[in-house]
Amino acid sequence: MALIEMTNVSKSYESGSLKVQALSGVKLSIEANEYVALMGPSGSGKSTMMNILGCLDIPTAGRYLFADRDITTLKDNQLSEIRNRQIGFVFQSFHLLPRATALDNVELPLIYSGLSPEKRRARAMASLEQVGLSERMQHTPSELSGGQRQRVAIARALVNNPSLILADEPTGNLDSKTGIEIMALIATLHAQGNTVIMVTHEADIARQAGRIVKLRDGRIESDLPT
Amino acid sequence: MLFFENIRIAFHNLRSNPLRSFLILIGMAVGIGAVLHVVVLGKMTQQRIDKRLQQMGANVLLIRPGVSRRHGVRTAESTVNLKWKEADELLEHSAALSHAVPVYSGNGGLVYGNKNWSSQITGTTVDYQFVNNDFPVEGRFFNQDELDQRRRVSVIGSTVHKELFGERSPIGETIFIKSKRFTVIGLLKAKGESWTNPDNQVFIPLTTAQERLFGAAHLSSILAKMRSSEDFEEALFDIETVLRRSHRLSEDKKNDFRVRRQDFFLQAVQETNQDLADFIIVIALVSLVVGGIGIANVMLISVTERVREIGIRRAIGAKKHAILTQFLTESVILGILGGLLGITGGMAFNHFYIGEEALILWDWVGYSFAICAGIGVVAGLYPAFRAANRNVIDSLRYE
Repeated sequence: MALIEMTNVSKSYESGSLKVQALSGVKLSIEANEYVALMGPSGSGKSTMMNILGCLDIPTAGRYLFADRDITTLKDNQLSEIRNRQIGFVFQSFHLLPRATALDNVELPLIYSGLSPEKRRARAMASLEQVGLSERMQHTPSELSGGQRQRVAIARALVNNPSLILADEPTGNLDSKTGIEIMALIATLHAQGNTVIMVTHEADIARQAGRIVKLRDGRIESDLPT
Repeated sequence: MLFFENIRIAFHNLRSNPLRSFLILIGMAVGIGAVLHVVVLGKMTQQRIDKRLQQMGANVLLIRPGVSRRHGVRTAESTVNLKWKEADELLEHSAALSHAVPVYSGNGGLVYGNKNWSSQITGTTVDYQFVNNDFPVEGRFFNQDELDQRRRVSVIGSTVHKELFGERSPIGETIFIKSKRFTVIGLLKAKGESWTNPDNQVFIPLTTAQERLFGAAHLSSILAKMRSSEDFEEALFDIETVLRRSHRLSEDKKNDFRVRRQDFFLQAVQETNQDLADFIIVIALVSLVVGGIGIANVMLISVTERVREIGIRRAIGAKKHAILTQFLTESVILGILGGLLGITGGMAFNHFYIGEEALILWDWVGYSFAICAGIGVVAGLYPAFRAANRNVIDSLRYE
């Protein structure tokens, strides 16, 4: 069974009196340990797709199975639990807590999974080591470079051993040299057995994935291996 | 686990906004401090009144000559209409009374050696000490023999003692009262200052006072002690019956004497005291409400400032109630800190203003603490609900 199984997924918003159809009848299946790039121009439904994939939002129609669970039937608390334990988010603008240290930021998901402080600390340190930041654990985001911040965010995404790493334009706020480093890190994570879905609009970054899914006007335009 | 985490987050946030946190705390603190001060003050006044009531001898009626009116016009106060024998008649006729003591009081100069002092000279009978629970701490009260024989013996109050003798024992010493030689046989317990100074008095036999000192046949008052406070109506009726008959007052005439229940006066004081305390408590509660609104306001601002943080926490798996409790914890901690500040401030103020003897009412400290925590909860509920129910995606994108 695939990790992600979308059938006929649609999403529409009411924006004032206007009804916006962000996704219409999307069918997508992603296996564990795949590395998929999600592409599309702005307004293509890319962000909506990302939100639904990350269980931040639920479709208005269709069925979305994540690790064999029907997301459309779940309550807010259950969605929170899935996000906490099974999905690691990497955002374009990092989304770290500005006043917390790198270590505290990485520990954050573990607090909500109810781990003891000792275990939290140990796992967060291991995670930071994995992204090569063991020297910077006590620094706050403002004391770190962009690339280092994104590494902290990746460490946070990894800390709960998620089934899926969801990266939304992970290099969008980085210079190209740092971007390459981050992409290398993500490639390593994939090689270590993680499932990665990456939203991007840059073709050469998308090419590093094993499969490119292109969206246009809320539909899948193409779905091809690289 | 989340509980301690919430406390940690709360303190972290309060520290990062020290001035704002402090200003909010002040509002709460003033309210709580005021409550504590008023409650302590009220309690201490109450204790003083209780003590005074005990000293005065409960259930004592003070009968004094009244104002005689002619055609509604107030004329000179009649001071000649109470007689010693009327006190005896009262006791004889009323089953409601246990004692009826005649009193004649006047002012007079006292001399001991080269010291002069002026005090109230009170002539009375042996029973006086039982009516007012006024027993000597040294020596004794005069007895019936000394009363019958118009002896020049005196029992002095503590102020008189201090002024004339200092620390020395006065028993057996000779003093001059209105230039007449008296022997001091007793010293009364100090009662402490109240509206008048009951310690600046000399008690002598009524016979001696009337015949040797003041040359008066009448009394200045009669003290009647009831057997119990429920006998008040009956005692009042008996007193009126006896005195009106004795004064030959026809039915259309008003009483030419007044009966006052001594403890009533204190009860009135007590009620005024209570009214004042209630009023200040209301003001204090208003300031607590204002403090609560302040907390609610700061929490709303705090939620708005931290929309992105809420989004991040929710995205990585915080449930709604985790966000709710996070903000609620912060608000309760604000309330509790305000309370602690108020309790400390109130105690310090009491210590400074009232002095060493200021009571510390631990039960009220407890209530204050609970009230502040409660205000924290109430003030934080709405902001916390708003935080918890924010849309995750919008919060993440919030700039």
